[in-house]
Amino acid sequence: MKVLDDSGKGVAVGSRIDIGELDLPLSGGAAALIVFWKRL
Amino acid sequence: MQRVYERFASRGLEVVYVGPLETVESCQEWKEEHGLGSPVVPDPEGTLFRALTSGWVPWSILVDSGGAVLFSENEFDEAGFTRAIAGVLDRGQRATEGERASAEPPPGVRRPASAQHVVILGAGVGGIVAARALRRRLDQRHRITIIDRAADHVFAPSLLWLMVGDRREDQIRRPLERLGRKGIEVVRDEVLEIDVEARVVRTSRGRVDFDYLVVALGARTAPDSVAGFSEMALDLYSLEGSLRIREALDRFEGGRVGVLVTGMPFKCPAAPYEAALLVEARLRKRGLRDRSEIDVYTPEHLPMPVAPAALGRSVAGLLEGRGIGYHPLFTFEAMRPEPREIVAADGRAERLDLLIAIPPHRAPEALASSGLLGPSGWIHVDGETLSTGRAGIFAIGDVTTIKLPSGKSLPKAGVFAHAEAEVVARRIADEILGRAPSAVFDGRGYCWIETGNGKAGFAGGSFYADPEPTLRIARPGRLWHWGKVAFEKWWLRRWF
Repeated sequence: MKVLDDSGKGVAVGSRIDIGELDLPLSGGAAALIVFWKRL
Repeated sequence: MQRVYERFASRGLEVVYVGPLETVESCQEWKEEHGLGSPVVPDPEGTLFRALTSGWVPWSILVDSGGAVLFSENEFDEAGFTRAIAGVLDRGQRATEGERASAEPPPGVRRPASAQHVVILGAGVGGIVAARALRRRLDQRHRITIIDRAADHVFAPSLLWLMVGDRREDQIRRPLERLGRKGIEVVRDEVLEIDVEARVVRTSRGRVDFDYLVVALGARTAPDSVAGFSEMALDLYSLEGSLRIREALDRFEGGRVGVLVTGMPFKCPAAPYEAALLVEARLRKRGLRDRSEIDVYTPEHLPMPVAPAALGRSVAGLLEGRGIGYHPLFTFEAMRPEPREIVAADGRAERLDLLIAIPPHRAPEALASSGLLGPSGWIHVDGETLSTGRAGIFAIGDVTTIKLPSGKSLPKAGVFAHAEAEVVARRIADEILGRAPSAVFDGRGYCWIETGNGKAGFAGGSFYADPEPTLRIARPGRLWHWGKVAFEKWWLRRWF
């Protein structure tokens, strides 16, 4: 389902993001899976 | 997705579901509907969604602990995804084992043997930032506990706006229990005593053992230590006091208003001047300015005396320009509720119809027997590391004192507590993870000065500069006011 039309291509594999800046309830585990969802 | 999580959770995989354009309520419903054990959080404006995806749901992103993106796709191929996750967890485990086998702790760094418990006392600006920053850096084997007697955090810089009716109470307070959703244990309790030798905090309901301690208890205001305070003064530094000032200003029909600093040091050095300027604007708006006098009484020789004199002169000029009386070197001695007078040590007495006062500040009583307080009555900490000199025990924010090259003390202000908290969190996390701590506090800080009528000034720079702080000072304008508003919104959203 397309939710927004003004987006880019999504964050690229191999790039790096500052997990802390995302302000998500993550506590620094070995890996984090971030899943974007929306009610259909 | 849930199967993947259950399979790898014990090896350090965390899963978080983000709902673009969703609400807290709809996220909760969705979580319950699907029986999810992982957090489900809203992204109400789609900010994260726009930044990280191409606009399609579901979108899955896998990152390792260093933030490297390993997978970013609209599709969810369980088998491929499982291989990718297993790969990163295996690499992480090998690296950790290698690190454990070879790394020797640097001199002065304790090598923790097991999971550590970091306890933070106080959920003000410093405590909250420290807790969140630590949680971000340490995995869930390590416990992070924050103890505060209050149920809510009140964003103190906004009390000035509350006082003149520009904010409602619910706009500036947030429940501390929300930190629980961020992996932080929140304990609502009164801290009674700290035993630094036994490494125990005693509270009104029990005891909490710690491996690392961050004292962020702030400065306690002591209006009760001033005879007559409750009869004739309104406390500028409490939520209740600010609400009472608002009511008093609404009822006020003209007369003499005084803003009084009862003693030094006091937190947020600009606050009495901002209060006077905001009250002036409020009375002008109500058409009472011609029937009112406003005066500031302070023991300081110039506003904000830690800063270069140019800033103090600039603030004094602002007061003068608005017809506000400024009475420096007014060493407060007593309040006389019957004639409604405040009295200075040199005998000056001023009769006031409305008195807004900053109570004396003290270190929290829980510290009295801790051995942590220095001769100043506050905790003396290393200006760069915020260490109290006791292994694993740090102090940040208003409860501390840091001597500047000028011989004066670093002002007590939230901006410093915030920066110090980030430094302490990094240092503690580094120690726990066996790395040499390198983060240091650089003494940089800034401050908005609300002047009323939708304007604010700004000053910021290095307070550690020798021989005196070097600050950039900006003239009041609407932009700075909106900058402060934006900061308030960001802060409350960022940490809760």
